[in-house]
Amino acid sequence: MLSRLFPRTDRDIVFPMGGAVLLFGLLVAGGLLYQTILGSGSAERLVTGMMIDAIIVVGIQIYIGNTGVLSFGHIGFGAIAGYVFAVLAIAPTEKAKRIPDAPFGLAGVDMNPWLALVIAIVVVAVVALFVGLGLTRSGAQSGAVAPTVITLALLFVTHEVARNWPKLTGGDRAGLGFRVGQALDSRVPIYIGLLLALVVARLFAQSRSGRLAAAAREDDLAARAMGVNPVVQQMVALVISVAVVGIGASLEVYEVGSILPSNFFFDYTLLTLAMLIVGGRNGVTGAVVGVVVITIADETARRMGADGFEFFGIGLDGAPLDWIFRENLRTVVLGVAMLGFMIWRPLGLLDDWELDEWLHRRFGADAEEPETLDEALAREVIELHASNISVSFGGFRALTAVGLEARTGEVVGIIGPNGAGKTTLINVLTGMVEASDGSFELQHVEVSKEPSYKLARRGIVRTFQNLRLFGALTVRENVETSALVAQQYRSTEVIPSVDALIAEAGLWDQRDRRARELDYGNSRRLELARAVAMGPAFLLLDEPTSGMSDTESEQMIQQVRHMAATVGAGVIVIDHDLNFITGISDRIYALDQGRVIAHGTPAEVQSNSHVRAAYLGTEGS
Amino acid sequence: MTELLQNLIDGLGRGSIYALLALGVAVVFGVMHLLNFAHGELITVAGYVAFWTLGANWSWYLVAPLIILTAIAVSLLIERIAFSRVRGASDFTMLLTSFGVHFVVSAIFLLYVSAGVKTYDQPWWLANTFKVGSLNVEVFDTAVIVVTLITLVATGWLLQRTMFGLSLRAAAADFETARLMGVRSDSVIRGAFALSGLLAGIAGVFWLMREGNTTPSAGIAPMLSGVLAALIGGLGSLRGAVIGGFALGLAEILLRSWLPDGIERFTDGFVFLLIALLFIFRPQGLITVPHAERV
Repeated sequence: MLSRLFPRTDRDIVFPMGGAVLLFGLLVAGGLLYQTILGSGSAERLVTGMMIDAIIVVGIQIYIGNTGVLSFGHIGFGAIAGYVFAVLAIAPTEKAKRIPDAPFGLAGVDMNPWLALVIAIVVVAVVALFVGLGLTRSGAQSGAVAPTVITLALLFVTHEVARNWPKLTGGDRAGLGFRVGQALDSRVPIYIGLLLALVVARLFAQSRSGRLAAAAREDDLAARAMGVNPVVQQMVALVISVAVVGIGASLEVYEVGSILPSNFFFDYTLLTLAMLIVGGRNGVTGAVVGVVVITIADETARRMGADGFEFFGIGLDGAPLDWIFRENLRTVVLGVAMLGFMIWRPLGLLDDWELDEWLHRRFGADAEEPETLDEALAREVIELHASNISVSFGGFRALTAVGLEARTGEVVGIIGPNGAGKTTLINVLTGMVEASDGSFELQHVEVSKEPSYKLARRGIVRTFQNLRLFGALTVRENVETSALVAQQYRSTEVIPSVDALIAEAGLWDQRDRRARELDYGNSRRLELARAVAMGPAFLLLDEPTSGMSDTESEQMIQQVRHMAATVGAGVIVIDHDLNFITGISDRIYALDQGRVIAHGTPAEVQSNSHVRAAYLGTEGS
Repeated sequence: MTELLQNLIDGLGRGSIYALLALGVAVVFGVMHLLNFAHGELITVAGYVAFWTLGANWSWYLVAPLIILTAIAVSLLIERIAFSRVRGASDFTMLLTSFGVHFVVSAIFLLYVSAGVKTYDQPWWLANTFKVGSLNVEVFDTAVIVVTLITLVATGWLLQRTMFGLSLRAAAADFETARLMGVRSDSVIRGAFALSGLLAGIAGVFWLMREGNTTPSAGIAPMLSGVLAALIGGLGSLRGAVIGGFALGLAEILLRSWLPDGIERFTDGFVFLLIALLFIFRPQGLITVPHAERV
């Protein structure tokens, strides 16, 4: 069970937890040092506030960092949690003064704050589940922009409802508050919350779900082609993330002792997002660094705005700089920080650098280069049968009544000039383009209406002509992504080990490099290894040697044959190079202008008059 | 029946402003894939211009064109300073850039004017009504609807019949191909921002007339309506944006009148609920935009 959730125990559980504790220790030690040196009550409050901000920012990072979807709504979720907590946890005597007419008899509820905290988290997680349905579905349909707008709307709506429902929330002037002395007076729960947030965030990023979400973040289409359903992973990330934000928001209300609609609105959204962006949204370490940096910048700007440039008694006279040192300077600073980082350093100070990953690279045990792969024993033959496939884009017919048969163990080549419809055919077979007519069957089951991630789970796996790797992930993580999907959905098949595949592709020395840093040939080989890690029944390769030299192509042919044999897969390969296709294929389909003009053995197709006409422009043989 | 007609007119009036805002958002989204969260800032800046000029006893007839010019100028300026630097960046970067612009613009007014509400004189005819049968029709609503229809027709003509419109639509359909076909990306993008500013300016005139005041954060409400309407209509579709704007305006007015007393305060909440439901069952918005990624 644990190994299904976390690919490797030491790298994905032990080190992340250690790293989270270390980060926590550094943050707490730094905070304590600062407040001891200054020794003032305001310094102590600043540090407490920073700890709570850290919980919330780390919570937001779980969603934004792992899915790459920008959310403005997390502070809105925080408001919901904060109000649920406040309404439940505030003593009835106090509620009788502020919200005597609260609906559902809530004014009389007398609840232990810790139970109230749990209920607040549950409520906000349920809201997240509902909102998330629309969010993820629209995101899957129209890209990352739609969810952002929906979350922004959520932020406004929670604010409006909080303002307009004084019977429950106390409205936007009085608000809700604990009686003096009843608010949180110890920092221990905040420490616990912070440690929990850090551990959850790091573990989630390393977990199966987090890794699949990150793959979809890097390339949504490629992730679908590897059997990942981004909608599911984004939902999981959203609910966990919102739960952590809920903890932070409730603790904030408890610690401050009161809640107003304006506490959880635009200003706080700007602050927390600036923290996340400046530090680096793709990593937990980055999020924490951002919290510290922005807390310092924010506090500095606030003081400068109030008293000019004056620190610890040293300073300049502010008079000539009056046009800067004004009240509200901090909003400008935060806005400019956000804008500046977006324009010049969009991935923040640290990008996705993680303390524990660095420690693991330095001190973790390293694997030895594995043996090469054995070819699989003969397996049950699976057939792919497509008939009468037609596709039109507007008035243009890309494919007309194309039929294709393939079975495991053989190599089928598809050849044709540019624009013949080769890639369109692969797109249809992998669920990326819907056929306007015709259907295809896998093992006599019709699968033509299934989405691409389901087809991938059934074993129809592809590579892309224009290379679609998960750029920010390492070579190993790229291959692991499909191995994780295969583990769950293709467990009856032969799944080669990740390390062996990497070695087979000749990428062993580069296994910890980011995929986007690889050269062209290695990128192609990595894409092949990633596809084979699915344990596919059919491997669909879209021009696997385009842009390669002859020797590299030769080598690629060997690798394709060998890797396909290790999983017993059938190969469907498309190219416009007749020599390459005849060299690798058992059977060939020749396409021209969306129609099959010939098919048969390489020799038959080569001598076919239509093929010669399409290729050489000459009639007859 | 009378009440329904009355509400429909009110809804159309409100929806008109939303439609103009949404169309401005959609035009920019089309050429740059940028969802402009700073769109409302055009109205913020215009609002202060209105405050200062009206305070100096200018007439609304002079202020209205000035508002439109301001919106166009600010739109081009923001493009120059911020958005031109993130062309082709990820959605995430562009979204946050526009969000950042929104904050910086409102913070400047916060810093150098004040956080307070600045009121100015509304046009004297604002609350006037005239009777059509048993209906009380506001002069204001009529003006909004008529001007919006004229603007939409003119914009439609611009997009369908001029070279600029053709390049803009081509760029919206497939920016890269359009560029290869010789459409100049710089001028198309600037043109889109100018058109977006023009539309926001026209909407802004009515918006500012109705509000009668401005604050540093005055741009948030029009921005949210415009962006939401564009999304409801189906991002990337210009027609969808207009439909989305009218749909949002009508939904707000009708819900407000249909919801029972005591609950009508939560109209925004119900509108959001409707939007959330819309995206669960129709994730692409009202109008489906063919959206294919080349693989």
